[in-house]
Amino acid sequence: MIRLDRVTRRYAGPPPRLALAQVSLAVAEGEFVAIVGESGTGKSTLLNLVAGLDLPDSGSVSVEGTELTTLDDDARTLFRRAHIGFVFQAFHVLAHLTVAQNVALPLALLGHDAGATRARVTAMLAAVGLDDRGASMPHELSGGELQRTAIARALVHRPAVVLADEPTGNLDPVNADRILALLRECVRAEGATCLLVTHSHHAAARADRSVTLTGTGLRAVAVASAPR
Amino acid sequence: MSSRRRFITTVVATCFAAARGGARAEVTYPAVTPRPLDFPRDHGSHPQFRTEWWYITGWLRDEAPSAGEAPRDLGVQVTFFRHRSGVAEDSTSQFAPRQLLFAHAAIADPALGRLRHDQRAAREGFGLAQASEADTDVVIGDWSLRRAGTTYVAQVEARDFAFALDFEPRAPLLAQGDAGSSRKGPHPGEASYYYSHPQLAALGSVTIDEKTHAVRGRAWLDHEWASEFLAPTARGWDWTGINFDDGAALMAFVIRDTAGRAYWAGGTWRDATGRVTTLRTEDVRFEPQREWRSPRTGIGYPVAMRVVAGELTVDLVPLFDDQELDSRASVGAIYWEGAVRALRGDRRVGQGYLELTGYGGRLRI
Amino acid sequence: MSAGALLWRAVSGGALAGQRGRVALAVGAIALGVALGFAVTLVNASAADELAAALRTVAGTADLQIRGPRNGFDENVYGRVARDPDVVTASPIVEVEARLEGHDEALRIYGIDAFRAAAVTPALIGIAPEPLDLLRPGRVFVSPAAARALAVAPGATIEVQSGLAALPLLVAGLLPAADAQRFGVMDIAAVQDAFARHGRLSRIDLRLRPGAPHASVAARLRAILPPGVTVATPAAHADDTVRLSRAYRVNLDALALVALFTGALLVYATQRLAVARRRASLALVRALGLTRRALVGYLVAEGALLGLVGAAFGLVAGYGMATIAVHALGGDLGAGYFRGVTPTLVVEVPVALAFVLLGVAVSVLASYLPAREEARTSLAAALKAGGRGSVVHAQRLPHVAWICVAAGVLATALPPVDDLPLAGFLAMALLLTGTLAALPWIAKTALAAVAVPRNVPAALAVTRLRATPAEAATSLAAIVAAVALMVAMAIMVASFRTSLTVWLDAVLPADVYLRAGAAGDSGYLSVDAQRRIAALPGVARVAFTRWQSVEVAPGSPRVTLLARDLADDDVARTLVLVAGPRPAAAEAPALWVSEAVADRTGWQPGDTVDLALGGGSYRFTVAGIFRDYARQHGALIVERRVYRRLTGDDVANEAAISLAPGDSAGTFAATLAQRMPEATRMAVTTPAALRALSLRIFDRTFAVTHALLAVAIAIGLAGLSSALAASIVSRRREFGALRHLGMTRRQIAAMLVVEGTVSSAVGLVTGFALGGALALILIHVVNRQSFHWSMDLAIPYALLATLAAALLAAAAATSLASARQALRHDAVSAVKDDW
Repeated sequence: MIRLDRVTRRYAGPPPRLALAQVSLAVAEGEFVAIVGESGTGKSTLLNLVAGLDLPDSGSVSVEGTELTTLDDDARTLFRRAHIGFVFQAFHVLAHLTVAQNVALPLALLGHDAGATRARVTAMLAAVGLDDRGASMPHELSGGELQRTAIARALVHRPAVVLADEPTGNLDPVNADRILALLRECVRAEGATCLLVTHSHHAAARADRSVTLTGTGLRAVAVASAPR
Repeated sequence: MSSRRRFITTVVATCFAAARGGARAEVTYPAVTPRPLDFPRDHGSHPQFRTEWWYITGWLRDEAPSAGEAPRDLGVQVTFFRHRSGVAEDSTSQFAPRQLLFAHAAIADPALGRLRHDQRAAREGFGLAQASEADTDVVIGDWSLRRAGTTYVAQVEARDFAFALDFEPRAPLLAQGDAGSSRKGPHPGEASYYYSHPQLAALGSVTIDEKTHAVRGRAWLDHEWASEFLAPTARGWDWTGINFDDGAALMAFVIRDTAGRAYWAGGTWRDATGRVTTLRTEDVRFEPQREWRSPRTGIGYPVAMRVVAGELTVDLVPLFDDQELDSRASVGAIYWEGAVRALRGDRRVGQGYLELTGYGGRLRI
Repeated sequence: MSAGALLWRAVSGGALAGQRGRVALAVGAIALGVALGFAVTLVNASAADELAAALRTVAGTADLQIRGPRNGFDENVYGRVARDPDVVTASPIVEVEARLEGHDEALRIYGIDAFRAAAVTPALIGIAPEPLDLLRPGRVFVSPAAARALAVAPGATIEVQSGLAALPLLVAGLLPAADAQRFGVMDIAAVQDAFARHGRLSRIDLRLRPGAPHASVAARLRAILPPGVTVATPAAHADDTVRLSRAYRVNLDALALVALFTGALLVYATQRLAVARRRASLALVRALGLTRRALVGYLVAEGALLGLVGAAFGLVAGYGMATIAVHALGGDLGAGYFRGVTPTLVVEVPVALAFVLLGVAVSVLASYLPAREEARTSLAAALKAGGRGSVVHAQRLPHVAWICVAAGVLATALPPVDDLPLAGFLAMALLLTGTLAALPWIAKTALAAVAVPRNVPAALAVTRLRATPAEAATSLAAIVAAVALMVAMAIMVASFRTSLTVWLDAVLPADVYLRAGAAGDSGYLSVDAQRRIAALPGVARVAFTRWQSVEVAPGSPRVTLLARDLADDDVARTLVLVAGPRPAAAEAPALWVSEAVADRTGWQPGDTVDLALGGGSYRFTVAGIFRDYARQHGALIVERRVYRRLTGDDVANEAAISLAPGDSAGTFAATLAQRMPEATRMAVTTPAALRALSLRIFDRTFAVTHALLAVAIAIGLAGLSSALAASIVSRRREFGALRHLGMTRRQIAAMLVVEGTVSSAVGLVTGFALGGALALILIHVVNRQSFHWSMDLAIPYALLATLAAALLAAAAATSLASARQALRHDAVSAVKDDW
């Protein structure tokens, strides 16, 4: 499903630094993989490459059989629109739209008609436990509820891949746990592949397997068998 | 073009209306008092008098028509008026409109069935329009009538016709009225100085529709000048000038009042021997024989007239009926002026022109 | 909600938040630019239409017109011309501008020969209940517009001035003219008698034979016309009048473009801020899959909407402005070109649409730049931290700036195009663009020279400015443009006013000026009147002037000839010479020409030239070129002695009286009223009054520009505030961090104020320098080529210093206001990145 092959990414700086050096990774369909590492080890960079937000200096990035390095920016954007879902650390929920409208955004980008969108949004909100909050504005929601909105949004368009970048970074431990469980469940329910970036080994334990990014590359860690 | 016509007609009508007695005058025009006519001076213009005209009418025959055509008769009329406006008498400008000149020309062409006519108007000045006092010499632009020796020469270039004609007198000049003072009404002021020159031999060319025809014929000249000659009650007049084939000449007129009655009349008969008889009011009668109604204006004209002048009676029949002069703006100045044949019984004895004015309603200012 | 609507809401929904004032200002700026341009176009089109209609009325169906100098030409020309075989009708006309008693204005009266005019210009034939009134002296027919303006009806009497006497005229009827022209018609002889125009005609209208070739008829006629009398088609004469006002109009158009430009700057600044505030949500939508192109499209559409709203307001406002201008100032906006024309405004839909398009286009362009910049930013960085900062630009002086400035300097040397200073305008635009393009480099260089102060907030401000000169540059752009234009106009107006004042002092040396008739040319001073004036007690010296009009170059409009009594030292004293003087040859007397005439003809002092006067052609020597602000089309001066000898025309229009010592203008006026009762028809003024009047007119003319500049300054400040706010928005985390470090809110505000003030100071200096350059172009190129007058540079130091100080203070205040507003949020929340 996702394949990175000897991917290298440098930043010019100042100072110049090597974010990824010859990193290779293969993720099968339906896998829930955690990417762990200290700050500054390039975790977000890796995610950006998979999402098509960035291009590697060398190496190949292939998602769902599509080689992203051969596509131009527009093509990558269109690809991202249809096949990728995001959950960010900073929620990134639009303050001037309602919860339901926020969730509907990916479908709007794909041009789905209002009726089908409405049904799907309602279903997703129910799935994340926000069925009665559809008409609320973001500033009325707590952090946990906002992240749940983000999860609903990430999956509303049935993407093949979900990318989560430290989704629990801004939440307290109790909520963090809940959110991770929810994420796991939703991803599995939709049959999506998920890459979870985190610096918490506890969160990583929830994954099917985790890989660690160190200063010198990607290192696989023992796969923890997580309760299904 | 039409506004120019309208303007000219308006002014002309005003001038003629002012010629009646009682019109408000800014200057005093001299009265007509009987005096002998003095030639050649009296051939010329008399600018102190209010109104003056030189008026030629005649019959022309196209002697050499195109192949297959019969010889054609045409009526011709050209009149030059001078009018002392009475305004701007003190002006020192070269443009001062003290003397206004008008001219009027028409061809009666039976092939067309109605008149072709045109007119000119200008103020005297700059040599572009003038009436000489020395002799008959009237010019408006490219229209002129002048005496060259004893012959009158008329040149007219109109919109749709033109002519250049010489008129040579074949009989002496005829002073009208009392040795040239012709009474026009019961009051002493209602008179004019008037002489005619009948039996003019016409020779020259007429151009119609860009074709020029050599013509010859017989014509009649009237030269008349006055200050006031119509009574306020006058509505119009009938006038005729006939050249008889045997050399005689008849001029007769009646003046009709608003009721249609002829309250004044006059005329002169010169027989073939040259004996002149002056006609008085009771001697002259115009008896309408047939009326023609104009399809354009609806006015009825007695185009066929029996004229009784003393012992003489002639019937006048028109060359064709529609010889109405309709100035389109229809402000007064609609009258009938046409070429007529003179008949006695069935026999044609002469030809000339008949003028019928005042049938279209009172001359409105 | 449909997909499209939702996307629109997502991208643009937050655009207006907290920005209502700024958006309104941007819309207003666009509206102003569109309004100005539209108003000028409306007024001018309507005036030109009116002029054409007037021409049709007055010229009727004339094929050719013969015209001569103002005083007319020999009437015998009429007789000769009328005899030409191709001329069907020749209609002679005498034109008089008759001053009306009790009114300030003159009534144009045409003296016609109705018999002739009926065929050529039927609109001049009055509707006469009494037909002979068309020929009678003392009768006038007036156009319906004139009857309304003078409040007279047929049967009323009006009084006109002839010489120094009053002449009653009976209104005998109305003219059929249906348009807004005001004029009267009399019989030609009546006009010649009433206004002493015997022997002279103003023009002859000709109808030619159908099919006659106009050019060869005109050539044939030219051969029999005396010198100074021309024959041309009526349209050629109308063109002259329209051309005169063109320079004035084009300058107004340029002003409209300036307003539109400042509007564009403001839209740019507003959009930049709007985009900066939405950076995070825009980044999200882009991450979700909105293409760059689509993003730019949405942002540009926002700009287009702004432009549309602004343009719509602008059309309405422009129509209102045009209506007011036309009613208050007349069809030529007070410049005096179309006399007696009060046009009705006709809106042509294509023109209106063009202006709407212009407003939209300007907005779209101004929005495109921030949109493109935003689309280019690193999405990853924006997502991660809510926006880090702006893209770093190159800090070298861009090539385009060099090229623009160089091209601008070169363009100043170009000559006028079709009598318009287009190269001058281009040079100004190029210099402005070049300077704006070079702003980052200017900012960096200037700021490098500023020492880092000790005070912490100030130090932070200066170091930040140094580090991000590009950002400094964007806040400067509007200020630089506004200041440059303000300085340029201030210098130009000051130079003009100073030159005008000096000139007025020179050309008004006498104590009292008498003019026969304040308006029109039906008033004049006869020889007798001149003698009596000279003999009045208290008069030490009197110099009479006669006005005429002559043609200096074939086909170009006539210039005013002043035949003036000149004593020996008068020329040096009373004329402000810019070239010469040169002595005159004996057989070719001296002629002084104004700058406008010299520009048009290329005459130089010492040249011998031929001039057509009074029906003859005479040789003169060009003795000098003088500066003249009074007559834009040009003026010539000859000695009246010479003029009288050549033409025999010995009446005068004006008397310049030097009083005996001890006599005042007041006592003289009393003496005049006593000894010459007809003096009530003379206009009596003193130099002081004339000077005050001239300067008042000057100030009024430039009041409009001053108002516009005030608006430009306001917009400049608004631009500064927007740019500052945009920068602040993107630095929220930074401020939050500073607050956590222990800087008080006041200190942060102080830092922002220093930032704003220092960058404004840089902008001020740049703007002043640019403004000085623009002023030089305005003075030496634009004004010179448009109006043919020169002026001496005069820099209003006090005014500029005051303006600079005020502007700096305003910038500081604006920065403070922006800072306060931006710092209202709690610091903690700024760090949390929570929405």
